[in-house]
Amino acid sequence: MQILIILIEILVLFAIVMLHVAYATYFERKIIGHMQVRMGPMRVGWHGLLQPIADGIKSFFKEDIIPEQADRVTFLGAPIICLVAMMTSLAVLPFARGWVIADINIGLLLVFAMSSLASYGVVLAGWASNSKFTFLGGLRSMAQVISYEIAMGMSLVGVMMLSGTLNLSKIVEAQGDSFWGMYLFPQIIGFFVFFIAMLAETNRVPFDLPEAETELVSGYCTEYSGMRYAMFFMAEYIGMMVMASIGTICFLGGWNGPFTVSIFPPFWFVAKVYIFMFLFIWIRATMPRYRYDQLMELGWKVLIPLALANIVLTGIVKAFTG
Amino acid sequence: MRVQYDLKKSLFETVFLTELARGMMLTLKRLFSKPITRQYPDEKPPVALGFRGQHALVRDPRTGGSKCVACMRCATVCPSRCIHIRFHEEDGRRVVDSYDIEALRCVYCGYCEEVCPVNALVLTEVFDYCEYDRESLFFTKEDLLANWDRFLEDSGHREETYVNPFWRPRGLPESMLPAGKRLKVPDSWTEDGQVVGTRYRRS
Repeated sequence: MQILIILIEILVLFAIVMLHVAYATYFERKIIGHMQVRMGPMRVGWHGLLQPIADGIKSFFKEDIIPEQADRVTFLGAPIICLVAMMTSLAVLPFARGWVIADINIGLLLVFAMSSLASYGVVLAGWASNSKFTFLGGLRSMAQVISYEIAMGMSLVGVMMLSGTLNLSKIVEAQGDSFWGMYLFPQIIGFFVFFIAMLAETNRVPFDLPEAETELVSGYCTEYSGMRYAMFFMAEYIGMMVMASIGTICFLGGWNGPFTVSIFPPFWFVAKVYIFMFLFIWIRATMPRYRYDQLMELGWKVLIPLALANIVLTGIVKAFTG
Repeated sequence: MRVQYDLKKSLFETVFLTELARGMMLTLKRLFSKPITRQYPDEKPPVALGFRGQHALVRDPRTGGSKCVACMRCATVCPSRCIHIRFHEEDGRRVVDSYDIEALRCVYCGYCEEVCPVNALVLTEVFDYCEYDRESLFFTKEDLLANWDRFLEDSGHREETYVNPFWRPRGLPESMLPAGKRLKVPDSWTEDGQVVGTRYRRS
């Protein structure tokens, strides 16, 4: 019985997340379009509302091309690794009080582990395609994820120190439901580092070097087509959503808001995640891409020292205030 | 010119990334501005005066056929040699046997309609025509007359009042034009109304 309930919960979450992924692409195209003084998708349905569904059907029925020189097994497996790793993180996210599939005590750690595993998918895809562009994309992704994982992990150490737990629900509860209780204010440096590292972790502009169109065609997924290509995209958007959720939980007070919406408890959580998603898209519409050495310099010379300083500062403040 | 790559910034600007914020504000402002895109198949673009589009032979309202007198001027002036005319003479008048235009070779220069003494040929404002094979874009006399009918129907022009600006060559005084070319064209098309290019100087 317990298992059945969990399975149904997983199915519902899966369906909702997939719908969100589909419409995240729509909103991205729409918002970027309007920011560039054009309209974005307009033709499928009213104002292009059915565009993501048309895209889904198209990519599902497209031919799945496997390059002759590719390493078949790895090539086929890579997008699955990517997608599964990203989706596993969804299990530990608390959407509202008690609205969580697996309320485990190492939630934050699991999310980190899974987002690192997802980069294996990217690296393997790059290597297995046996092409220069994908290989460079994969290498870049690996270097980038390793560099920024450190900064990101350390930026959240402050949050762990303040809340004293790795359980995501408890982190939200530790912040209380007041506006000033959000860790955004005591952990402003941590949030700054986390935000930039979050962009880099999800391979978004201005850190989208693994799929830099201008130099690497499409980076690690150049050789992929049809559904497998779509899987990388889904993984990327789920990754965005997971990172936005972590940001919401650790810095913006999770499901707590100015007032409670009793008919839909996760209202504030979803609203905050949407704000993060909008920020992602807004930044993509504005920023140019970093050069590779600038990316590394920012990661190692700015973000990691800042995160370390934040840990020390938080420690000192905590030691004095108790 | 020396380009200063690293602009001097104050501490405030460095710490709070004001330049990034300014860029972000710009895109946010654009988000709420009206798109300048035209939804093409639904909204047709305005066709400028003097647009040279699909070829057509003007249908003479008196005879119901073409106005062409087979003077061969269009075929002679055509730089891409895409006009082919065959004719024979009957009682000292030329009768057109066939009048073909290879639209795929045409460069749309409009010389043919300028040179035609009876305004029989016109490059209409139709720009959105395409076919799957080359044969369909080889216009015979019947095709060209049909193009004219379709153009009149779609554009709403009337054949008595329609004047293509190219029917009156620019820069020639009235007395040097053949009778059929002494037409009233829009003011913006006249020599004095032109603002671009080298101005024609009357000597």
